[in-house]
Amino acid sequence: MGGLGTPSGPVLACGEVRTRLLPTSDAVDERTAERLLRLRTDERVRLSRHPNRYAVSPGLLTGVDCRPPSVNGASSRVVGTVTARAVLVEGRVLQSSAHFSAPASGPDRRRPWGHYLGRPGCLIPVGRLPARSVAEGFLAGPGPHELDVGSIAESLMARVCRHRILDFDLPLTTVNTSLRWTAVPAVEGEATSVLFTKADDGLRTVALRLPHGTAPAAVAGLCEDLALHDWLLTTVAYALDGLPAGHEDSGLPKVLRSLVDHLLHLWMPRGHVDRTLHAVWEELDEHTGYSRQWNVMGQRIRDQLVLRAVRSRHQPSAWD
Amino acid sequence: MLVLAASDKGGTGRSVTAANLAYQRSLDGDDVCFLDFDFGSPTASAVFDLPDAVVGADGRGLHSYLQGRTSEPLRIDVWARTEHPALRDRPSGSGRLVLLPGDRTGGEFPFAEADRHRFVDLVLRLRHEFDLLFVDLSAGRSYAADLVLAATSPHGGLGRQGNRWLVFHRWTRQHVMAAAELAYGNAGLVRAGAAMGHRPEVLSGSIRFVRAAAPDLESPPWSQVSPAQYVWLRQCEQVLEELAAARGICKARVLASIPLEPVLQWQERLITDEDVHDHGIAHHETLRAMRDLAQRLTDDEFWGPW
Amino acid sequence: MNGSESVFRETSFMETSGEPRTEALPFSHLSLELGHVYMDDLVEDPTRLRRHFAAVRPWADAARAGLGTPNSGGRPRVSTCFLIDDYFSRRSTPAELIPPLLEAAAEAGLTIDYLARESACAGPVPGGSRPLADGSSRRGRAEPADWVLRRLVESPPPGTTGFRPPASCTGWLANGRRSPSLRVSPALNSAGTVWQPPGETDARVHSVFLDVELWSGQEEKRSWSCAFLSAVWQLVRLGLLRDDGHAVLAPAPWEDEGFPAAWDALAPVLRLNPRAAPFTAYVTCSVLPARFLPVEHAVRVILDQVHVESEVLGQVAMRCAAEGFGVPSEVVDRISYVFPPGL
Repeated sequence: MGGLGTPSGPVLACGEVRTRLLPTSDAVDERTAERLLRLRTDERVRLSRHPNRYAVSPGLLTGVDCRPPSVNGASSRVVGTVTARAVLVEGRVLQSSAHFSAPASGPDRRRPWGHYLGRPGCLIPVGRLPARSVAEGFLAGPGPHELDVGSIAESLMARVCRHRILDFDLPLTTVNTSLRWTAVPAVEGEATSVLFTKADDGLRTVALRLPHGTAPAAVAGLCEDLALHDWLLTTVAYALDGLPAGHEDSGLPKVLRSLVDHLLHLWMPRGHVDRTLHAVWEELDEHTGYSRQWNVMGQRIRDQLVLRAVRSRHQPSAWD
Repeated sequence: MLVLAASDKGGTGRSVTAANLAYQRSLDGDDVCFLDFDFGSPTASAVFDLPDAVVGADGRGLHSYLQGRTSEPLRIDVWARTEHPALRDRPSGSGRLVLLPGDRTGGEFPFAEADRHRFVDLVLRLRHEFDLLFVDLSAGRSYAADLVLAATSPHGGLGRQGNRWLVFHRWTRQHVMAAAELAYGNAGLVRAGAAMGHRPEVLSGSIRFVRAAAPDLESPPWSQVSPAQYVWLRQCEQVLEELAAARGICKARVLASIPLEPVLQWQERLITDEDVHDHGIAHHETLRAMRDLAQRLTDDEFWGPW
Repeated sequence: MNGSESVFRETSFMETSGEPRTEALPFSHLSLELGHVYMDDLVEDPTRLRRHFAAVRPWADAARAGLGTPNSGGRPRVSTCFLIDDYFSRRSTPAELIPPLLEAAAEAGLTIDYLARESACAGPVPGGSRPLADGSSRRGRAEPADWVLRRLVESPPPGTTGFRPPASCTGWLANGRRSPSLRVSPALNSAGTVWQPPGETDARVHSVFLDVELWSGQEEKRSWSCAFLSAVWQLVRLGLLRDDGHAVLAPAPWEDEGFPAAWDALAPVLRLNPRAAPFTAYVTCSVLPARFLPVEHAVRVILDQVHVESEVLGQVAMRCAAEGFGVPSEVVDRISYVFPPGL
């Protein structure tokens, strides 16, 4: 299937990215990353070292046949496969990402399963797809008996996390985030747009309007990158929240050190994003001020550490 | 760390004490999650004073999650939702305190293999966000206890998570025998766990006892009874200690004694600083016992292969 | 996409692990299986082989005839094969068993082009893949059954939302919705939990529900089911299985040197006839005793749910199109059977 909005292509792409710290005391090396993400023995883990260490599992398909979420209760049915993959960034942050794309219409009844297996990552409607309603419903989250892409991402996450080499000796507690996204093609002459929202419990939503022909997999890659950086900000902000300024407390340096040891070097926007979508990141960054916020927080952590180092020179205190 | 709160009988203060431990650890800055597995009679939401929040739990609670009826079990932020007056202002430096309630309707149910997988997935997922996970189990050798035993066995998925069991019992003859039976009896946790692949000495080393509603004979009102009563109480105490030791509950295996606390007899609630210092309705000893016990959960000195 | 982008993409992943390339295979039109016999049967009744091939012969001829003449002219390419079950029992040796097998086939006027071992489908196959210094590496072992297991994508019964344990959790694969398990709790049964029948997803009014056991035992020493290995066998014959893009179970030549005394010393797939058409084929036909019917039903249920790489399917489709040979788009429709009387 082609890109968004092309004649034979999808009119809608949706996905969810879940982001966590890899449950180990330390970042893992490339070999371990490969072992963790080797979800299928017949296909390789793709590895990259530039601009940062980055590993991607083979894609996994999950079959579904159900009602897509919708805001207006329009009844429709989709059949096909959702594709999911796991990503490990710098051997430290684990993401699981599931997405699908859907054409405007499909056959009037379900075809043999092989028909759908030939279109991996594609959900084909039985009849017409109420695309707008599904896009809005998807961001609102699934109701009972509706398509649950988050669960598909979650079970992939759980599968990786169950690996025996993970010790679950986490250096700090973090926030588990989910980022749900939808992408529709921009109508002729219409500008591309990105709408980002933050909700409780680590849920974020991103509604994208993108140029015709954008590949759904590239959108998924963009959203993985957004989710990673949003998670970094959320996690560091959470760790710094309530940190009394300049207060001498034995527990504090450990948190700061964990941030420095494990997270501060991971900020690398657009590191693995398709070039055609770099502008989307920049637009979002301009609105949210993510990069500026990150720089400020990073500077604050470094300042705190410097202050503590200066103090400890005067009155030696144990750095655990 | 996973803290599994079990008891053989009802009325041992298991739920209320476990909730208080969760509260204390959260005050200390730990991120704490409380999973209400007391499928027969969920009480955690009452202890945390969350009357409204649990209404939404039907169809989204832990029962529903474990049985595969919902993928996202309901999470309630206790600090944000509680109606307890002392808890509404979250103290600075405190950690997260989150309740995963059971469904309001529904009770004990036998588990399928898939339920265990879902339980393991849930715990692993929560481990990222929380330092401590409390699981409040139904009284007796429940299905819930079996599920947890299976999941924490070496091949169950949570075998390497540092799991600790608390067996709650009251300080009476019947309760002591029942608690020992729950831990070491023919159908007890250790034997059942061994059948599921646990190493008995390891499992046994991860079980500690908590005496609830235990009278402290050295403090009022017991220290003020007549000399004859005092002697009699002392003798009973002695006999009980001997009975407990004979059944395997030696002193080293007792993690704490929570004093008899009138407030808890009347209302299952969190004991706060205000209750002790401002209102004077709860005993200082109770609060101290809760705090000590909360600390001992993660103090390796109190746990070992005996 | 312009040139600079494709350069960017290639350099963003290390060259040793770039996009997998798919190795091309030679193809016959038809892979004709002349039988599949349990070793126990062969050992217990030596005359059985003669009767077997005599019964197969006319149907094998019919299968060839059914192909007609390819559009490209000439005779269709047909290769024959025979699968020996050395996975479930090993009562005899290749040296004892194979020569009489070939004789019996020749007596009926049949040539066995390729001889395969069933355990080759299970793996690990010694020497079946390029060995790697690092023993833990995936490429040190060829495990076709495991690859196929990982490529299973369960056909979702209506109502499947994505919140469901995958097949690899349970070791079973169905062609529809299972009967929900009963939870014998009075509290929940008050909600009216009663038995519900299973249902076949593609049923026409009434169901033929099938639940296939894929393997048994613990993961470390899994025992693959006959049905699952047969599905692997079909995929191997159809040339649809790749290990990271590389061909698997390529036939080894045989120089009339005699047969070894141990099954593991025998190549997984042996080309007995040097002039044989290619082992892999666009379509397959298996002539089997009717008692294999349930197994082959299971094979179809499995094949219907195997996700074959689109590059591999595309390669076969292009070759067929070039030859003017019509091949069904669904993998499961590329296999056929004959269950002759008297076999």
